[in-house]
Amino acid sequence: MSGYKKFTRRDFLKVAGLTAAGGTLAACAPKAQPTEAPAVEAPAVEAPAVEAPAVEAPAVSKPIEIVHWSWLTASDGEVWAKMIENFNEAHKDKGMSIRMEVVPSEQYGTKVLGAVATGQAPDFGWGTGGQMAQWVKDGAIVPIDDYAKKVDLDLTDFTENSLKASRYPNLGGESVFMVPMDAMSLQPEMNTDHVAEAGLDINNPPKTGEELIEWAKAMTKYDGDKVVRSGIMMTGSALQPCVTWGIVSAQMGFRRASEDLKTACVNPDAGKEAMQWVLDLFDKHKVSTRDVTDRYKAFGTGEGSIFWTGPWTLGGYQEAGLPFISFLFPTIGKEQRTYFELGGLEMYTQKDAGRYEATAYAMKWLSDNSFLWTTVGRGAACRKSILAREDYKTAGLPWEIRGAFIEGMDFAYEGEIPVLAAPNFTIYAGSNFLAQTLDGVWVGEKSIDQAMDELTAQWQADLDQG
Amino acid sequence: MTSLWQKKTSSPMLVGQGWLARLRRATWNDQRIEWSGYFFVAPFLIPFLLFTVVAVIFGAFVGFTEWGIIGTPKWVGLANFRQAFGDPRVAKVFLNTLRYGLVIVPGVTILGFTFALYVNQRWPLSGLVRTAFYSPNVVSATVIGLVWVWMLDTQFGLINQYLGRLGIPNIPWLTSTQWSLIGVSIASIWWDLGFAFVLFLAALQDVPGELKEAAQIDGANRFQVFWYVIVPIVRPVVSLVITLQLIATMRIFSQVYVMTNGGPALSSSSVIHYIFNTGIVNYRLGYAAAMSLLLFFAILAVTLIQQRIVRERV
Repeated sequence: MSGYKKFTRRDFLKVAGLTAAGGTLAACAPKAQPTEAPAVEAPAVEAPAVEAPAVEAPAVSKPIEIVHWSWLTASDGEVWAKMIENFNEAHKDKGMSIRMEVVPSEQYGTKVLGAVATGQAPDFGWGTGGQMAQWVKDGAIVPIDDYAKKVDLDLTDFTENSLKASRYPNLGGESVFMVPMDAMSLQPEMNTDHVAEAGLDINNPPKTGEELIEWAKAMTKYDGDKVVRSGIMMTGSALQPCVTWGIVSAQMGFRRASEDLKTACVNPDAGKEAMQWVLDLFDKHKVSTRDVTDRYKAFGTGEGSIFWTGPWTLGGYQEAGLPFISFLFPTIGKEQRTYFELGGLEMYTQKDAGRYEATAYAMKWLSDNSFLWTTVGRGAACRKSILAREDYKTAGLPWEIRGAFIEGMDFAYEGEIPVLAAPNFTIYAGSNFLAQTLDGVWVGEKSIDQAMDELTAQWQADLDQG
Repeated sequence: MTSLWQKKTSSPMLVGQGWLARLRRATWNDQRIEWSGYFFVAPFLIPFLLFTVVAVIFGAFVGFTEWGIIGTPKWVGLANFRQAFGDPRVAKVFLNTLRYGLVIVPGVTILGFTFALYVNQRWPLSGLVRTAFYSPNVVSATVIGLVWVWMLDTQFGLINQYLGRLGIPNIPWLTSTQWSLIGVSIASIWWDLGFAFVLFLAALQDVPGELKEAAQIDGANRFQVFWYVIVPIVRPVVSLVITLQLIATMRIFSQVYVMTNGGPALSSSSVIHYIFNTGIVNYRLGYAAAMSLLLFFAILAVTLIQQRIVRERV
């Protein structure tokens, strides 16, 4: 008789049950420690020495790991990673560290809100001043005033513009909902090789709308009737023409909302004139083409001569060896104005309120040590003490490419409209309500009057909502 | 030793044993239930119920609410649907999706069948053709989109370079409202071709050789053999490819997102892309869910009509 033992159904069920139990136990085991992020090389600019923290880290009974989400992935992301590394280095014996996780920018909002809803939110993350009213209303963001006092973060050291952009008067009164980190503006960058080729004076860049068009015409190249090198880098739709209209319309006197946030589209004729100005770049002056798909790459490879963008491009273009300078946005309308954006750190609602103080301390440390961030990483400092430093202008990226973004903060007024529907008003956007409405004008599907009527109707409804 | 299945005086263990015995003896329609079968399908069934069925039901519910992820959804009844029917952008993206269907489905079907025929006939380089036309299918849609953005660049793209040699001026494939949908469709056809090609090739290889020989002996020429013998046999596969491709095309997203982000001016945006922007980018989950429901019914209607047409012709 064979020694083979029949494997019965009962035997199978026993084995399966044991396997399932073992799998369940394994799933309940403590998570493995996350692997460290790959070391990021600091950009090839000497970083100023990190200052010792002026305030002691809050006493922690056990090591605390503060979770931080960031969407920064370009050259600014490398500098930000260095900032986090500096914090961890400075606090390695103090039981405190920051674990940074990079989340794609288009998923950031949904993931943060989902995490807040489930009580799994990161401790702090990046935000844009003026755009977070809905999150404030929903209780996703914690006001920092009380915690700033606890960790000795001096709010009077911040510039007034940056604090204003961190408040939502309709919701939180005077409460501050963000630690401002850097202020950005849009300024033109110009390819110096193209300037030399056109015989123009690089030391005397255009200051008015007329001069701007003259320079653009001198640097534009054509193949027959088609523009093959843009004098002014533009795309046929989406973000670039939208933000251009936003800036030019503001210079011409248009206001998306009145100061008291009650009336939409103040001085609509100026807004219409600005739409025509953008169209003229393509159709009348022929210094731009609608055929550009990637404006960053196009400027970086010399397909355009003048490109207004933000300071987040400086590191990347410099690394790529592009010969360029930045200059102050010309006065195309009645007054010199440009786009303003505030980047800052916001604290998200936690189940354990005991984490807030440690998080506030981390944000304070990063703000106190933001000299690296605001000289090499991205925009202008929001701390008066940093702006007043003697080496602020000489450290970091060369002043001829960085200077306009610092000095231009003096007229960077076109920021966010701090209402619940703020994203509808944002001029630096490619697919929001504003951009989609204007796209119809740029492609000839909608008249200028029609577009202005649509903007007025929707924005008024948004302002009425609060 | 007393059998475990004999009824005993009550004790927790013995009560449990009685319960287990009843479970083992349970029947349905006079047939004993084999619990082990359910145990086998549980690893698939439980996640499917949780992450598909429950998610779909919840999504349908959200379509009747206003919700921004945080807080409880606020019931608004049919308001989202009324808004969708009155929103010209919704009409535009549905029309775009229909246009995608009219371009991509015939493109994939005809080209896939043509190349399958070529390989089946073992014409020159059929081995290379087999690999060349299937390989795009194994690459992700995002990579395809990124490659084709460069291929279709107005000034420096390969496609315009070759067209230029034929004397055709540069076409603004991705930056013009007239051409953006075509540009995205080209990339989609190139990507989807492989799967249809494989299905058609398998169907063609299943056509009995004797039938073709018999037709040839009866005097049929090559076209007649193709039209009266091969096509009727592969018709079910054609129907399958058309159905699958229709459903896939109505859900087109990755190529749109990567290549044009729906622009210029929503000219290349699809329904799913618009839903993504509405729900994920603008946090209007209720409105996005309502549009998803409308898309579901649209796909269902199109599929039923298509199935009806094909069935009537078989």
